[in-house]
Amino acid sequence: MAIVKLSNRDAIEPSAKKHPIGFGYTLLQAFAFLVLFIALLEGIARTRFIGNLLPYQSFGSWHYQLDLKWFRLKQYVANNGGVDVLILGNSLVNTGFDPDVITQTYYEKTGLRLRVFNFGVDGLTIAPNSVNAKILIEEYHPALLVLVTEMRDYDATNGIRTEEKFLSDTWMQYQLGYFNPRGWIIAHSVALQHFLPYRNWMRADFPNTFAANLQTYHTTFLTGYEPDNGVMKEVVAPDPNNLAGNPYFDSTQPYQVDPSRLECLRAILDLARENGSQIVVVEMPVHPVFFEYAGGETVHKAFQEKIAETVQAGGGIFLPAIDEVTIPLQGRSNLTHLNWRGAPILSAYLGEQLAALTNQDGMIFVNKQNGDSQP
Amino acid sequence: MNITIASFAAFMLIVVLGYRLLSARFRNIWLFVACLGFLITWSWEFVGILLVLGTVNYILGGWIGEAKEGRKRILWIGIAFDVFTLLIFKYSDFYIPELTAFLARIGMEKGSGGIQLLMPIGLSFTTVQLISYLADIHNRIVLPEKRWLKFILYALYFPKLLSGPIERARVFLPKLDQPQPLSAESIARNFTLIVIGLTRKLLIADVLNALIPSAAFVQPLTYSAQMLLTWLLAYAFVIYNDFAGYTSIARGVSGFLGIELSSNFNTPYFSRSIAEFWERWHISLSNWLRDYIFFPLSRLLRKKFPRPDHIINFILPPLVTMLVSGMWHGLSFSLLLWGGLHGAYLIVERIPTLWAPKVLMDERPKWQQAVAALITFSLAVLAWLPFRMDLITAKRYFAGIIIPSHWFKPDFLWMSEVFKGHLPVSDVYGWNIPDPRIFLVLVPAILLDWAQYRHKDELIFLKWPRWVQAALLALVTLGLFLASFADSAAPFVYQGF
Repeated sequence: MAIVKLSNRDAIEPSAKKHPIGFGYTLLQAFAFLVLFIALLEGIARTRFIGNLLPYQSFGSWHYQLDLKWFRLKQYVANNGGVDVLILGNSLVNTGFDPDVITQTYYEKTGLRLRVFNFGVDGLTIAPNSVNAKILIEEYHPALLVLVTEMRDYDATNGIRTEEKFLSDTWMQYQLGYFNPRGWIIAHSVALQHFLPYRNWMRADFPNTFAANLQTYHTTFLTGYEPDNGVMKEVVAPDPNNLAGNPYFDSTQPYQVDPSRLECLRAILDLARENGSQIVVVEMPVHPVFFEYAGGETVHKAFQEKIAETVQAGGGIFLPAIDEVTIPLQGRSNLTHLNWRGAPILSAYLGEQLAALTNQDGMIFVNKQNGDSQP
Repeated sequence: MNITIASFAAFMLIVVLGYRLLSARFRNIWLFVACLGFLITWSWEFVGILLVLGTVNYILGGWIGEAKEGRKRILWIGIAFDVFTLLIFKYSDFYIPELTAFLARIGMEKGSGGIQLLMPIGLSFTTVQLISYLADIHNRIVLPEKRWLKFILYALYFPKLLSGPIERARVFLPKLDQPQPLSAESIARNFTLIVIGLTRKLLIADVLNALIPSAAFVQPLTYSAQMLLTWLLAYAFVIYNDFAGYTSIARGVSGFLGIELSSNFNTPYFSRSIAEFWERWHISLSNWLRDYIFFPLSRLLRKKFPRPDHIINFILPPLVTMLVSGMWHGLSFSLLLWGGLHGAYLIVERIPTLWAPKVLMDERPKWQQAVAALITFSLAVLAWLPFRMDLITAKRYFAGIIIPSHWFKPDFLWMSEVFKGHLPVSDVYGWNIPDPRIFLVLVPAILLDWAQYRHKDELIFLKWPRWVQAALLALVTLGLFLASFADSAAPFVYQGF
């Protein structure tokens, strides 16, 4: 290391050089450079090379899987010319419905080929999903929206923080029509969308989280389905002496359907009707022991009646949970989630139900608005 | 309101425009309103506390100036009041648990939250400035300020409120009456200072800070020595760039108001001795400690022990000065150790002068200067251990670095298996490879300092070709924009003092 002679008392002096043309010119030049850099980056980011090199894009969402599903759907629509059926819900949907199985079953029964995408995202209750539904329906015009739901969607204490974070997201706000510069830039800059998965590169735990995200990216099918490899080993019933240990519901209150959450369901039904999409609300077939955590079968029945009544009033079709015997224990990864064995069973069931609606009631789910899906 | 956020930029724009458009007699009133506005964004209680503190010192300063007798007594009352205020708020962690317990015993404290005191922002910085004001009046270096508003601005001036620089009244007060006009040069200078500050804070300090896992400073022995060493090195640059970044922004902001603030840092990690380090690190505090602790104590001791090389004269002044520096940062054993270490470094450094005349560093061969710089840097970095963590953890961290068994071989095999997808990523720290991302940030950080050090000019960039300046500015702007998408932002480290 070369050490330049410098007295200890040599305080650093500000530059005394004059700038005859003025600093404003430098700022103008800097602006020009900035525009040039941005144009260069944007141009490079839009090349096929970068698209293939960088694994996935992001809207800067706090929820990695939400980003993943948005871009997967975009890619799905680009590859297939549109989408006919969108399945919306939480993690139970993500691992519980295989669109390929639904398509195949429906095709066998009707001779029509559907384009189905699984938009299940971990932790999203009916409240954020009502916002998701709005954006998805308005952008992709699916012929059918399948909303998969379960009791926790309507528990007022469930997923509040998630909902807040979901709604405060700048890009989401922009998508909902609330203009903000950051949201606009994210929505329009491909370079930024490529950068955003790496935005936390400086965090100590980034290599681990990035690797985990990458793994999810690779295990998620192009149809949005992510198989769950877990297998449920034993069924644990709730301990009446340990209410605080209830992992599913707020144990301090008996379960009840929250009116504001029910309003979200009504909003989705209205939205679908207004946009010409049909809607089927499916109750997720969780393990029967799950209902014991919520207060028993009576509470579950009351929940079913309430949802059925609301869906019918909103012009939708409600499919209550299939008999628990249909899905064996080996088809579940826990009380609520299905695994790779259970998902095809439930998917085939949904395919059959949709086929029945087509064959018996003449309902058509093939989307004519965004491209014909006929082979 | 943090000074790195967009709302502060908007606030500053309004303040500067108002200040420049108003006639001279209203400018200080406008500044006072701006100071109050800035403080209120933190807490309205802070306004009250700092106003009382400033007003008491204003009155005491007036009394010292006018008194024919008992000047020293009033000075000590003022110092006691300032130190007491600092003790009450800053060191509340020490006495509040005992006080709460005592009040509970006598039945006066029944609330579940206990007593809580908020430490007003910048109290440590304001207090030492007020002490220097009283001492300077006593020593007839400065006359007491007659106008309350002007004096309060000295105490509350918002660009320097959070983390200094620590200004002297005799230097600062005249600037309030004669702010420098805005010119193309001053705009370029102040703008560049702000850009350098933002770069240091947001692109260097915050990034390096996020790269250090929080567990490293809690359970250091779970990591390998090479990683601990890298993180300690990174922390050294975090604290420096964080603080220097703040000062640079504060100076730039103040410069737009025509009030120049002192420089607080002068490429300290290129120092070739610890004495030089303290001439380059937190310069305004170093000067304060020198003028109000080191010199008075040295003079006092010389009266009792006239020989300059007497062991008491040799040891006590630097040691006490650095211990006070440690205590100023916080009342904890680890900060005392940090101060004590620097005191010890200074003493050891002076030992050769007992038998041989001092040779100036500039006159020594370059290789000696380089070695001296390396040793000084290593000692300064080592001292950050007790500055950052408690004594026990610091000891463990140090042990983690020096114990040979903690120098593990990097596990390249495991790493390659992970990248091939054969193994899941469970813990990247298991690879025992120093994080390359840290070096990616350290290199430009060192280059930034090197450019300033080599040319003895912190604004050397203004002498570079215009297109280079413009390209650099565009890159920094792009970097700041991209950094703003990261999920976390850190407050200034020295704001906590």
